[in-house]
Amino acid sequence: MTKVLLIEDDGETAGEITAELADRGFEVEWSPDGLDGLARARELRPDAMIVDRLLPGMDGLTVIESLRKDQVRTPVLVLSALGAVDDRVRGLRMGGDDYLTKPFAIVELVARIEALLRRPPETRETVLRVGQLELDLIERTVKRGERKIDLLPREFRLLEYMMRRSDQLLTRAMLLEEVWNYKFVPATNLVDVHMGRVRHKVDGPGDAPMIQNVRGAGFILRAVP
Amino acid sequence: MQFFRSKTFHWTTVLAGLFAIFVTVLFGFIYFRIDDYLIARSDRMITTQIGFFAGLPRERLVGALDDHLGQDSRGVQFSGVFDAKGNRLAGNVAALPDGLDIGAPARDMPLVRLDDKEAGATSVRAVARRLDNGDILVVGRNVDETAEVFRVVGAALALGLLPAFCLWLLAGAWLSARANRRVEEVNLRVQRIIAGDLRERLPHKNADEPFSRLAAIVNGMLDELETTINALAGVGNDIAHDLRTPLTRARLTLERGRTNATTLEQLQAVVDKAITGIDQSLSIVTALLRLAEIENSRRSSAFGDVALGDMLREVCDMYEPIAEDKQIALSVNIADKFSVCGDRDLLLEAVANLVDNAIKFTPRSGRVELALLRGEGETILRVTDTGPGISEHEHDAVLRRFYRSDKIRNTPGVGLGLNLVSAIVKLHGFRLIIHAGPGGRVEIVCPDGQGGQT
Repeated sequence: MTKVLLIEDDGETAGEITAELADRGFEVEWSPDGLDGLARARELRPDAMIVDRLLPGMDGLTVIESLRKDQVRTPVLVLSALGAVDDRVRGLRMGGDDYLTKPFAIVELVARIEALLRRPPETRETVLRVGQLELDLIERTVKRGERKIDLLPREFRLLEYMMRRSDQLLTRAMLLEEVWNYKFVPATNLVDVHMGRVRHKVDGPGDAPMIQNVRGAGFILRAVP
Repeated sequence: MQFFRSKTFHWTTVLAGLFAIFVTVLFGFIYFRIDDYLIARSDRMITTQIGFFAGLPRERLVGALDDHLGQDSRGVQFSGVFDAKGNRLAGNVAALPDGLDIGAPARDMPLVRLDDKEAGATSVRAVARRLDNGDILVVGRNVDETAEVFRVVGAALALGLLPAFCLWLLAGAWLSARANRRVEEVNLRVQRIIAGDLRERLPHKNADEPFSRLAAIVNGMLDELETTINALAGVGNDIAHDLRTPLTRARLTLERGRTNATTLEQLQAVVDKAITGIDQSLSIVTALLRLAEIENSRRSSAFGDVALGDMLREVCDMYEPIAEDKQIALSVNIADKFSVCGDRDLLLEAVANLVDNAIKFTPRSGRVELALLRGEGETILRVTDTGPGISEHEHDAVLRRFYRSDKIRNTPGVGLGLNLVSAIVKLHGFRLIIHAGPGGRVEIVCPDGQGGQT
């Protein structure tokens, strides 16, 4: 079972996160204090960690920094009420792997944890395959079965990102950050519109839909027979 | 009195003292230069005279010496002829001085005047020479006149310096008292400002002097603060109002759902609706925090060269699908490659906001154009659309937080977009210009000096 260590001083928030992660089959350990959290991280060696920034005992970023000094490479998601870009950058520089600002949707947190746990290995593969879908990174071509799909550069990048993380929920914020490299959420439904176009091209008439919209959460690319 | 303890007065005293020392040193320098000059002149004179007298035969020499001394009304000339044994033959020098160095250049010698033996020896510049017949000729000149000049000028200077010193001190005391008065008045007014009277201003004259300039700047700052604080009071109410609406909606939905929902699906639908309301409230809070972040200029560390053309193309690429859905022709027109110094993410956010608005408010089959052009000493980012535009009387209002024109009440948004753009533009030192209709035309003007066009 995948072990997740949650270091969060607010009991109620921790309770909700623990319950949600437990429902999804994770084994969650909770620590409400920075110093205790650091000790548990060393002792438990979890598969992933969720660390709040402002903690009693020891600041969350110091906890991460101490672990990184010990050569502990466990993926860490930093939780914080401080959402300014500079704060995020600092969080990531101190050794965090991802950053989520409060308030957040629980699906976003789970999606990010899953993404961290299933972080794609640094492959040199030039052809990505998900079911019938095939994307050639050198030729810049996409095929579903025998049907060729014409994609614009941004759409190509979007599909590549989704294929590298197939069967994983990808939230709008994750897509904006990773595919567009934007640090802000635009007012309009940008991601949905772009995704709609990619979906239209990938799932042709008569095809079983590969790109699924998870209501209120994001999108998943799944292989279909 | 207080001004005697003031720094200004202390400094004035120190400066007055330094001035007195300077004048004294200058006087000393002048005295020694004059003294040197007069001695050199006397030496030249007595050397010439002794040369002349030495060339005369003894019988003419005595007469010439007497003539020479007879013409000396000031009594500064010394001359005498002595035989080889040192007996005086002629002249006004009573006796040869001890240790006389015959034939040496002019030097100080103690000579006694024949007619003033009681006064004793006087130190004079003199020269001695042995004549062909063995006689010794002595010619000298008293150069004590420089000491006299020094005494007279010194006395005059002392008399002049004292009033100058006093005047200086008086000026110092007056300046110090004047500065104290102004500082006291400023202190009093600042205390009133601290006590909460934001309408109070510092006193200043319409003169180009540092204190008035400083007061004018501080007053300008107070004007700005007063406006901001007044605006903030209004913003607080606006925030409360704008948060209250979606939260009330969420509360009503949940309340009704709790009472009426009979199936899990119905309850989920109610919860989804409530979440939408809460998300809207959160997006307002997020936008406000972002505004605060930008206005606090915390991101200037991320400034660098931003290629504006590439950025516009990126925004165009981002919004193209949305424009196409609405059958709006979105185009980009770039005159040349321009770049400015700025925060790329923030500038992109600003332009994206403008394009977002343009597409949102342009009716179907309309047109939105992004342009990058050069003005005089400035680079202009322009977003034009064929929408209703912003009427002239709304130009200032649209930059206020939460302002939502009556025409767009039903369009989604929280009324912070242009506010955000304005904050980003201000952070960069650029200008945001909203042109009057028909159609919408908004420009971000980047002056070459600000951020630096390259």
